[in-house]
Amino acid sequence: MGSAEEAAAKAINRFYDALEDLLRGRGTASMAEIWHHNDYVTTAHPFGNWARGWTEVWANWEEAAAVFSTYRGHDGRTDPIGGITELKVAVTGDAAYGTGVYKSTLYMSGGPLLLSANCTNIVHRIDGVWKIVHHHSDQAPPDWQGQIGKMVQAGHS
Amino acid sequence: MPAGQHSPAEVGTEAGGFRVLANGAGTLKISVWGYWPPEVARAFASDGQAAAQKLMPAGTLVVDARQLKPQGTDGQEAWRRFFRGLVTVTFARAVVVGANALTRMQLARLVRESGVDDRVEFSDTELATPGA
Repeated sequence: MGSAEEAAAKAINRFYDALEDLLRGRGTASMAEIWHHNDYVTTAHPFGNWARGWTEVWANWEEAAAVFSTYRGHDGRTDPIGGITELKVAVTGDAAYGTGVYKSTLYMSGGPLLLSANCTNIVHRIDGVWKIVHHHSDQAPPDWQGQIGKMVQAGHS
Repeated sequence: MPAGQHSPAEVGTEAGGFRVLANGAGTLKISVWGYWPPEVARAFASDGQAAAQKLMPAGTLVVDARQLKPQGTDGQEAWRRFFRGLVTVTFARAVVVGANALTRMQLARLVRESGVDDRVEFSDTELATPGA
């Protein structure tokens, strides 16, 4: 893997580190840091539709943080909530894309809630810095979304 | 989101706005869509709350949020004001119709934070709204 590919892959992995921070209630600062903040960024999540432009994208991440502020399944947990697997990165000029499978386990009151979703991330190199400009995850199955919705309405996992 | 031009009764643009429709059968229907800029959020905080205050004891409130995106700070505050305004209003039923799961979660959170979670329900599909 060349240096550009390594840098692009590192940017994508930083996204999943930021996601882990968000899911564990460690705030959204790292998520804000790993994105370019401009009007062509886009994102779609396992339980959401498209957000286009930084304002909408950020509203999505803030809401995701609010959703998972009620999640308590990580208390005392040492294993990652989730992570990207099978990541493959291709670079062309100052843009690169990575495909992979995001896998996570959430411990809910009713038992483990598993997710495996195909993901695509695009990173853009601006002034020599690779950051995310596009994130897409497949929609989660309805029962997964339903469990998260119950958690939100109950106020706890 | 609704396509093309909106009627004068609507506030906002195709990218984000709302429409309030009351009918003689006691149903107040509010359609909301997109991402609200601050001016639309402020208008909803005023117009939406004013409309909800006119709900009758036998009335039904239907919020069609199928095309609404998760809102930022201004939009969330507008919804808080709207939901808190329902606390002092007597009505028969209030339903939020929404398809975007993240939006629905946001509204569910705001409903809960506003103390009306026992009076506002959520539905996946549009209800029959007599006279609407």
